Amino acid sequence: MSMAKPNLEAREKILAKLSGRELVNCFQCIKCTSGCTALKLLELKPHEIIKLVNLGFVDELPSSDIIWTCVTCLKCVQRCPQKASPYHVIMALRNIAVEKEAKVPEGYLKAVSQILETGLIETPKKIVTRKMETVDRDCLKLPKINPPKESFQAVFTKTMEEK
Amino acid sequence: MTRIGVYVCHCGLNIAGVVDVEKVAEYAKGLPDVVVAKHYTYMCSEPGQHMIQDDIEAQNLDRIVIATCSPRMHEETFRRAVAEAGLNPYLTEIVNLREHVSWAHTHEPEKATEKAKALVRMGVAHARLLEPLEKRKVSVEKGVLVVGGGIAGIQTSLDLADAGFKVHLVEKSPSIGGRMSQLDKTFPTLDCSACILTPKMVDVAKHLNITLLTNAEVTNVKGFVGNYEASILKKPTYVDAEKCVGCELCTKVCPVKVPDRFNENLTEKRAISIYSTQAVPKIATINPDYCLRLKYNKGVCGKCQDACEAKAIDFEQKPETVQVKVGGIVLAVGSEVFNASKMVELGYGRFKNVISSIEFERISDASGPTGGKIVSPKDGKTPKTIVFIQCVGSRDKRFHDYCCRVGCMVTLKQAILAREKIHENVRIYVCYVDLRAFGKGYDEFYRSARDKDIDFIAGLPSEIHSAQDGSLCFDVYDKGTNKLLEVHPDLVVLGTGLVPNNDLGNISALFHASRSADGFLLEAHPKLRPLETAMGGVFLAGACQGPKDIPDTVAQASGAAAKAIDLLSSGEIELEPLKAVVDKDSCSGCRICESICPFVAVEMKPEVVDGNERFRAEVIEAMCQGCGLCSSACPTGAIKIQQYSSKQVLTQVQAALTETCTEGGK
Repeated sequence: MSMAKPNLEAREKILAKLSGRELVNCFQCIKCTSGCTALKLLELKPHEIIKLVNLGFVDELPSSDIIWTCVTCLKCVQRCPQKASPYHVIMALRNIAVEKEAKVPEGYLKAVSQILETGLIETPKKIVTRKMETVDRDCLKLPKINPPKESFQAVFTKTMEEK
Repeated sequence: MTRIGVYVCHCGLNIAGVVDVEKVAEYAKGLPDVVVAKHYTYMCSEPGQHMIQDDIEAQNLDRIVIATCSPRMHEETFRRAVAEAGLNPYLTEIVNLREHVSWAHTHEPEKATEKAKALVRMGVAHARLLEPLEKRKVSVEKGVLVVGGGIAGIQTSLDLADAGFKVHLVEKSPSIGGRMSQLDKTFPTLDCSACILTPKMVDVAKHLNITLLTNAEVTNVKGFVGNYEASILKKPTYVDAEKCVGCELCTKVCPVKVPDRFNENLTEKRAISIYSTQAVPKIATINPDYCLRLKYNKGVCGKCQDACEAKAIDFEQKPETVQVKVGGIVLAVGSEVFNASKMVELGYGRFKNVISSIEFERISDASGPTGGKIVSPKDGKTPKTIVFIQCVGSRDKRFHDYCCRVGCMVTLKQAILAREKIHENVRIYVCYVDLRAFGKGYDEFYRSARDKDIDFIAGLPSEIHSAQDGSLCFDVYDKGTNKLLEVHPDLVVLGTGLVPNNDLGNISALFHASRSADGFLLEAHPKLRPLETAMGGVFLAGACQGPKDIPDTVAQASGAAAKAIDLLSSGEIELEPLKAVVDKDSCSGCRICESICPFVAVEMKPEVVDGNERFRAEVIEAMCQGCGLCSSACPTGAIKIQQYSSKQVLTQVQAALTETCTEGGK
């Protein structure tokens, strides 16, 4: 087994992205992982991420796939007895990953560009009714969806750049 | 002409490691009226004290300035030494060079030395204006008021009563015994709680020196250390205590069902009932919130009255107030168990088979609702899987930040009891964070639990929910094995912590006992005065000061009794003379001091001047703690604190600012 070396500088960068330093209070009660929605399918272990950050073993975290598995259900935030809030740590790691231009899962990038173009998280789709008819917005005489204004795109891009 | 001696202490390297003590002593020599200035390794040691005493004699010193540690540490030591040399002890001035200088400015030795010089200069300025004072003696009442009849109050009362002091023991429930009387077995020896507690309860009732007041509450406290006067409200029980024989005929005929508080509401009893099987005093009490006769009108029910052969039922009983005079007070009001329904994710209150640890005690207890058979309250069946979950409400910033100090051991004990009672037919899990077994014999107890095939999971579940078939279900990740377990328990026991009493706010206000950040009552010093409050003559015993197990509670209770004996035994106490004094001629009678005094030590006394009645402030010396609030609030400067008059304080301020140390500059 190779020896682990803490990177305290990188650790401080992560801490600086958080509103407080509560995560250092984590005493590994494992509540976050026991209840993590993304654990069973995607093997996300929030307690492990907190411990890695606390000890400074953070070099591989921003480029790892695991930080993108969080489904942001916020159960860990609500139930953490030490207010260490793994969710916020994961979000900080994601932001660092983007800054470092590390690999970001395709789905996320797709979603972002779609929001930029259409202003919507999900594009309108055709659906099948109980009478087995396929309908879309036009059939239902719903108003047309306009693309977002330029100002929206400007704000959106700026937010992305700042983080 | 004043002759001042200045003594600078090294405190080993505590002061001398930062402050140049030699320079400070040299500097002091140049200050006006200073006759000698010396420095020494340990001024508090015998040679150090002798040095001062010899100088007082040889140099005819009349003021002593000692630059050393905090006055809270050794002021008394030095005052005694000075008094032995024939000087009034209050002509001693302590300058704090340790807490205020060397420990505060470790990395700036030069600046620290300058600050030390300035403080010594101020000390010399103050010393010049010190006045000789005498301690005053007041007599003390020989009785003690003990509030709370749990194991803490019982132990304190018995110790005091055995030592020959009168004790008034006040308990708000109809019986003494408290939390301990609800427990089944006790860790780490597994002896039965009732077997070791009940004899003590009986001793309390029988002891000639103890007056037991159950169903009672302290409503008012007046007075000061050595001389308190308390009003105790005895609530009506509607049963004549002299006549009732505890036969329980009445409880068999009473038609009204009431939740049984002693059994944590797991069962019901009647509106007239005896508190518990081992109750002391064993007399029936009517709950007026439920009794039909008391709630409605004279015509209805009254079945208990008909059934009682001793003719003890008295619906006309009225509340009664008893006044007692005591020298000291011991607060032993205990704690409460955390209400686990606040932690919604664990389902307490929603699922009948999720219970708290105190409910488990009742279920496991032979005198409890199931006769000691461990069953699930949901279906009455013996559980096949029991899960204990630790740190419920404790070590949790959402609820209580502190460790409950009993949860781990309680769970180990209950897990062992479950194993012994259900044998190999039950799977027992303990979900924990850190397992704390710190007392004598506790770790051995932990190991004995490990022997009994109990599964310890290093991790807590996030939530408990019901599966489709209605059974309980939860996931828990074990950090030892990195496995996620799915558990289907028949019974979940929550390791609920201890929390401050709901009415601790009132108690704190009533006895002027402050509370710490965790909500419990605050001791005078966390290490050196753990049994006292800041209020003279008011002591603490048991879990009202912080969560405690039985051994710690009993130890503290005996300690509090010893403290009270210490106060009462000599029959009189000496009072510090550093108190507020009123100059009656300048007092305008505005009452600001009276309203501001936290110790209720100011009284407005009428006096007749030129045929007109007017009020003047008067300080009750024994109650005044010398805090100085009144003095700074007084608009006419009529109240001053001895040794800290405006003149005395301002001279020091001037010395700090002008580098001189005589009044008005030199």
